[in-house]
Amino acid sequence: MSEEQEFVPRIIYFMCSWCGSGGAETAAAHHLRYPENVVPSRVNCTGALPPVHILRTLIEGADGVVISGCHPGDCHYEDGNFRARRRVALVKNLLDTLGLEPERVWFRYVAHGEGRRFVDTAAAFNDHIKRLGPNPLKTRSDT
Amino acid sequence: MNAKGAVLPVGEGFAPAVIEWLKEALNREIFEAVLIPVETPAEDSYAYLLIQNPAILDRASPLPPVMPVQGGKAIGRLTMRGTLNKRVAAVVRPCEARAAIELTKLKQAHLTNLFLITLDCAGVLPLSDYLEDPATAGARFAEAVTQGDRSPMRPSCQICHRFSLASAPGVDLHIGTLGIDEGSAVIVPGSLKGERILEQMGVSEDDERARPVAEMLERWTTQVAEVTEAQIERRRQAHAELQEAVAGADRLLETFSTCINCHNCQRACPVCYCRQCYFESTALKLPPDNYLARATAKGALRFAPDTLLFHLGRASHMALSCVSCGACEDACPMDIPVGQVFSLLADRAQEALGYVAGRNVDDPLPLVAYEMEELHGVEQPYVEIYREQEVQDA
Amino acid sequence: MPEGATSSAFTPERLRTNQGAEETVRQLLRSLLQSGQVEAVLALGKTGTEERGVAYSLFTEPDAFAMDGDALPLLPFMPANGGGLLSRLTLGGALARPVAAVIRPCELRAFIELMKLNQGGLDNVVLISSTCAGVYPLGTAVNGNLDERVSSYWEGMEHGELDEAVRPTCRACESFIPEGADITVALFGEEDLDRQCTLYLNTERGAALAQRLEGTTVTGNSERAAIERSKGERDAFRQKLFAGVDVGMTGLIHTFGRCIGCHGCKTVCPICYCQLCHFDSHDCEREPGYYEGELRRKGGLRVPPDTVFFQLGRMAHMALSCVGCGMCSDVCPADIPVSTIFSKVAASAQATFDYEPGRDLAEEIPLRTFKEEEFAQVAT
Repeated sequence: MSEEQEFVPRIIYFMCSWCGSGGAETAAAHHLRYPENVVPSRVNCTGALPPVHILRTLIEGADGVVISGCHPGDCHYEDGNFRARRRVALVKNLLDTLGLEPERVWFRYVAHGEGRRFVDTAAAFNDHIKRLGPNPLKTRSDT
Repeated sequence: MNAKGAVLPVGEGFAPAVIEWLKEALNREIFEAVLIPVETPAEDSYAYLLIQNPAILDRASPLPPVMPVQGGKAIGRLTMRGTLNKRVAAVVRPCEARAAIELTKLKQAHLTNLFLITLDCAGVLPLSDYLEDPATAGARFAEAVTQGDRSPMRPSCQICHRFSLASAPGVDLHIGTLGIDEGSAVIVPGSLKGERILEQMGVSEDDERARPVAEMLERWTTQVAEVTEAQIERRRQAHAELQEAVAGADRLLETFSTCINCHNCQRACPVCYCRQCYFESTALKLPPDNYLARATAKGALRFAPDTLLFHLGRASHMALSCVSCGACEDACPMDIPVGQVFSLLADRAQEALGYVAGRNVDDPLPLVAYEMEELHGVEQPYVEIYREQEVQDA
Repeated sequence: MPEGATSSAFTPERLRTNQGAEETVRQLLRSLLQSGQVEAVLALGKTGTEERGVAYSLFTEPDAFAMDGDALPLLPFMPANGGGLLSRLTLGGALARPVAAVIRPCELRAFIELMKLNQGGLDNVVLISSTCAGVYPLGTAVNGNLDERVSSYWEGMEHGELDEAVRPTCRACESFIPEGADITVALFGEEDLDRQCTLYLNTERGAALAQRLEGTTVTGNSERAAIERSKGERDAFRQKLFAGVDVGMTGLIHTFGRCIGCHGCKTVCPICYCQLCHFDSHDCEREPGYYEGELRRKGGLRVPPDTVFFQLGRMAHMALSCVGCGMCSDVCPADIPVSTIFSKVAASAQATFDYEPGRDLAEEIPLRTFKEEEFAQVAT
């Protein structure tokens, strides 16, 4: 039994139902893999992801959150991804002001055909969070 | 700054002068009712009254020592279901006007037929301080205002830099007192409606000593600018210290360790208009399995849960429209500096999105507007294929 | 002592341990968690790192109940009504495994009322209560004085006396003996609480869970005299408080004049369970025409309106179930003695129906039942 358990981050990857999930499917078609501890969570559009959910995820035990949707101009709902960018900007700003590590939230556009980009994002974020360490809010029972 | 303006003679004292002016305006049917704070029957607080009968105005106070109900909220409740049919003048502090402007953008108020009349504000006392002994508190307040001393005021007021016309330049009228000798004040229009009111009132263009209004306006402008600059520096300093005191999981949770989830802050907030708050809805009322699973994962679960989520989530919902009025902190039974924390969050978030809450009814809400090219710093850059082992081995 | 809610003919027992009250209760809860007899314990505990914050918590770790652990089960403080919290816990479904809750008599009464209102269930809920000497106002924790007062609190407890600094509502409370708990910790008027502790095991479940505690069975009601004397004192204080309430419309306007309409009283009230309060709903949002009409009739109108109406309306909705817990007064930012007023009105309303909220789960709330022949004087 190892004395130091290796830190396995709990990561939630929010992806839109169009390009975001499409990127994941393309990756699957090419037999690309990403780390098992990255948990996908599908939303209709990144613009429909309430900022509160990002906060809730971080408070309730996630070490990191990634949000991926269509590139600017490609949103199925026209401008959802622009709204998303503003919402993520707001959440990161709040986290930053309160010293709650906004770097635990990544926002990256991933297109339907960008399988490689999708798995790279998941893997890179996983390593990034491993370096950051566990989220200090995770073990707080007084949240 | 609009060069037009008029003199308000303040012979018997500022409040009576404003009341007389309002009565005269009612008399001339320039407006048909006034929304203004009035002392309560028990003489222990102030409440907004919508007044048509001029006799009631005798108990009114344009700048009471406390702000139990935010005037923006009062304006919101008055006009949420539709436009007023009568012309109403609302005599409010700048932060209250700014809240009303934000509510209008959020479609929770209608400003048609409502004339916003603001005044230079020196702050208000903390409600709990005032309630300990209203009579002496009133006197203490008056003294502090005369001295330009903000130290007895609420923390939000102590660092307020948006206490005059510039914070909401589009209001209809603003009554300026800073930098002007006793005996006079200036009335400055911020809109066409305001200009017309001044014309109809036929107010004078100089004071009793025949000093022209232009000179008085200049002195007022200069003094406001000086005080604003000093307040901006105080605010910057206070926010830097506060950020130090609350940043990081430990310090933040310490700040909210005494929170009892009463949600008074959300209720007192003029901008929080949701009939049913998300944080009180069934979205967060879950089967016991959920609570037990969380309690097991963390070793314990503060119950009722989601205290931190409420505050951070409420910030994510309203920080961009927060006018730093401090009503939330007045309502908190546990003396949590929630107004100061939210004010800090608001300043930073509004700056990041290039927005100032309540400044102009035509500024679009920042989460509604967007540009194609903006905020690229939020996007995570991706320049090359990631070559970590497990991805390679796939 | 009253019997618990159990169907079999179980005879309540009394167990006296040779450890102090604090140690006994902590040991009991720790062993319940350690043995897996309960999955969690709802009790007061520390929050934050500076020893100011106190909140209810669902504890799952036995070590929380060590003497230096985070749990503070007997702390005389009520940041939220525990009955309302039990409703929150069980409203979404029945508990799969037992959870114990350490709550005060008024919180227990509130939970019983809430269950009558279909806002919670008793399945797998283990109720642990104690005879109560009141709690300190919320402000006491804020000012950091809570720790200072606690030793005088316990001295008074042993002598059956209340610390004057506890909430006025508590000083006026005559219902400080819990009804319906599985285990009642006898504290009030009990001597030597630092060396011994008596537990009333009111139900089979209570007895089963206390099995692992070492102690002797005892009989006799030694603290009865202290309880009776205190009831008299509390009643006198209650009458004095009630006499100070300003009544009539003028009185109500004076009292609630400084109300800021935050509705905090409603939010913390355990009985007020409505997901959307009538007074926050669309029905109470007024059209401009309403305001203008009122202006015509009266010449002036408070904005937002309905300040006194909200108070009276809330009384009409919940006074019959008001358990006098005092959360409303404690939370009020305008220092309005809401609890005193509501308790006074509630006492009268409840007496009209000969009803005591929380007395008995089987007793129906008066407005949900009727007799064919009653209140003849009401109908003309």
